[in-house]
Amino acid sequence: MLKYEIKKIFLKPVNRIVLMVLAVIILIGSFLAIRDVKYYRGENHSALSGLSAARQLKKEKNQWKGYITEEVIMRVVEENKTIKLSSDSPDNALALCQGFEDIRHLINLGFSETGNYDYYLCDNISSGKAAGLYERRISKLKEELSASGDTKTADFLVHQYEKLKTPLYYEYMEGWKALLDSQYLPTLMIITIVIIGFLVSGVFSNEFHLKADSIFFSTEFGRNKAISAKIKAGFLIITVVYWSVMLLFSAIILGVLGFDGAGCMIQAGENWSSLYNITYFQSWLLTMFGGYIGNLFILMLAMFISVISRSTVITITIPFALSCAPMFLGRIPLFTDIMNLFPDMLLRMCAFLDDLTVYEIGGKVFGVYAILIPVYLLLSFVVVPLIYCSYKKAEVK
Amino acid sequence: MELKITDLTKEFGDFTAVNHLDITMGNGVYGLLGVNGAGKTTLMRMLCTLLRPTGGEITYNGKEIFKMDGEYRKILGYLPQDFGFYPEFTVHDYLIYIAAIKGIRPAVAKKRVKDLIDRVGLSKAANKKMKKLSGGMKRRAGIAQAMLNNPKVLVLDEPTAGLDPNERVRFRNLISELAEERLVLLSTHIVSDVEYIANDILLMKDGMLIHRGTVWELTDSMSENVWKCHVQKKEASQLMKEYKVSNVKSGANGIELRIISENKPIQDAVLEETNLEDVFLYYFGEKAGEQNAEV
Repeated sequence: MLKYEIKKIFLKPVNRIVLMVLAVIILIGSFLAIRDVKYYRGENHSALSGLSAARQLKKEKNQWKGYITEEVIMRVVEENKTIKLSSDSPDNALALCQGFEDIRHLINLGFSETGNYDYYLCDNISSGKAAGLYERRISKLKEELSASGDTKTADFLVHQYEKLKTPLYYEYMEGWKALLDSQYLPTLMIITIVIIGFLVSGVFSNEFHLKADSIFFSTEFGRNKAISAKIKAGFLIITVVYWSVMLLFSAIILGVLGFDGAGCMIQAGENWSSLYNITYFQSWLLTMFGGYIGNLFILMLAMFISVISRSTVITITIPFALSCAPMFLGRIPLFTDIMNLFPDMLLRMCAFLDDLTVYEIGGKVFGVYAILIPVYLLLSFVVVPLIYCSYKKAEVK
Repeated sequence: MELKITDLTKEFGDFTAVNHLDITMGNGVYGLLGVNGAGKTTLMRMLCTLLRPTGGEITYNGKEIFKMDGEYRKILGYLPQDFGFYPEFTVHDYLIYIAAIKGIRPAVAKKRVKDLIDRVGLSKAANKKMKKLSGGMKRRAGIAQAMLNNPKVLVLDEPTAGLDPNERVRFRNLISELAEERLVLLSTHIVSDVEYIANDILLMKDGMLIHRGTVWELTDSMSENVWKCHVQKKEASQLMKEYKVSNVKSGANGIELRIISENKPIQDAVLEETNLEDVFLYYFGEKAGEQNAEV
């Protein structure tokens, strides 16, 4: 039964086309993400990109491989100043700073005003002051939280910040940054969910649409095992397509740019303010798993709606609406807090790891993802019996 | 084997599709006749557990079919009026899939599918996609799926609708062959289909059973006679307004009418033998001038 349920989906020419489109999107997305890695040569404003840029960057950045101690921070500040003073053009300076650009960026992040990133801060800071980078991270948070008056939240966040083991370890990590710190992955997740939605939209509604429901429901297993087979088919398609897309995308990017830096904390990259003390590899696992839960919930919900509405079109629009609409509605201040709890957040986890949104439940404070992942995992499984029971009771109209 | 319908009612809002129906059936071919909207399809859908009745019950060997659930559907074969299928499946794959959801073990299903494909004459089209089949071939695939589990109750809703005369005859013969040792309920408004193969004919109107019997019993039940008369065009129009006319045939010398009437409609009218079409018209037909004529 399961085999034929899956066959029903993949025999549809439109579904095959949609899968081919997805394959092309993965290739284009990977290409763009890889191309965004740049190495500036300084001569004639020229730059390398992609694999050749990654090779050069790896060589230069790994000269700074190791723990970002106070001495390292001070060395970066001093070397940065020396280069800026000795270079005849900003382009040349930029090219010469590339080896320690990531550490320079951390100093800028650490000492810039919140929401007002100053790229040139490192050029003017004293090395002594910069050495207090880790202390500054905590004190800056405390300053920001002092106005809120919510001590439980403040204690939780400060505790999370203090738990971060410093000094941070650093090495070349362009592969992980290209994968997790760019917008390509969240975009690909949204496209994937829409395309899987297209595939699973007909699992239940096609029986009605094709008028095959009369025969289906009049068979021995039509109101029990055959429904389970449909649910399993939907689950398998969601799982296999999602993981295939994500693993392929990750493998292409990391394969080209390198797996180095998997053990670096995300705070050493683009997530300096994050309350989640995890490495890039753990961040990848969390992002992939969170995205999977988001996909699973949204698509299971779409299948449930397809059972109720009997409409393939409505089913296709659900993943699109749930993965895109909250993104825009969340920009309205009134909705921001609520929208952070929508399942689309799970599709964009890597982009929100430095978000400090926390919620207090039963006297305990949780980061937003500590709530979203278990809640939507649970809800995904709650939808299953709803699908089963609704389809079992369906009448032929 | 007994399939018993007791006080069965199905309402859709204010509309009563099936109205306090009582029928008992055993093995044999039953023809369900009625005009469109008589409640035939609704009755059949309830018999196939596709619709729940508003009132009354259907029992199979004394057990309520909705409570029997899968146990009842195991002995059920159904060919719906709008036979839906999966267009991208081949005939073979389609039947294997239906066999699977009918709970037939794969090894048995494989053999049964092959036998049925041969029996319904689809051997050459077994690997053709369902969407590529002609109307008649689709119907044959439909009857094959209905027969996969060798059902004890076979429900066929308008099985010959849309078929050309050759296909219809072929299909009728096939149903007759399949009818042994089982209950076949055949719904149609093509009178000749049931006339040839049904042992027991059920006449349904407005959701109710208005008459039941063999062809002979039904023709005998008519209290009016059937007359054949030759008239001119002007006279024919008048007679069609006054009487139920089961057939009109134009010829060089005027028009031949087949009129249902207790008394001789005109002097030259000749008494004819009653057939099932006359019965159909007698029970369901209206005169040409009547409002809301159903036929």
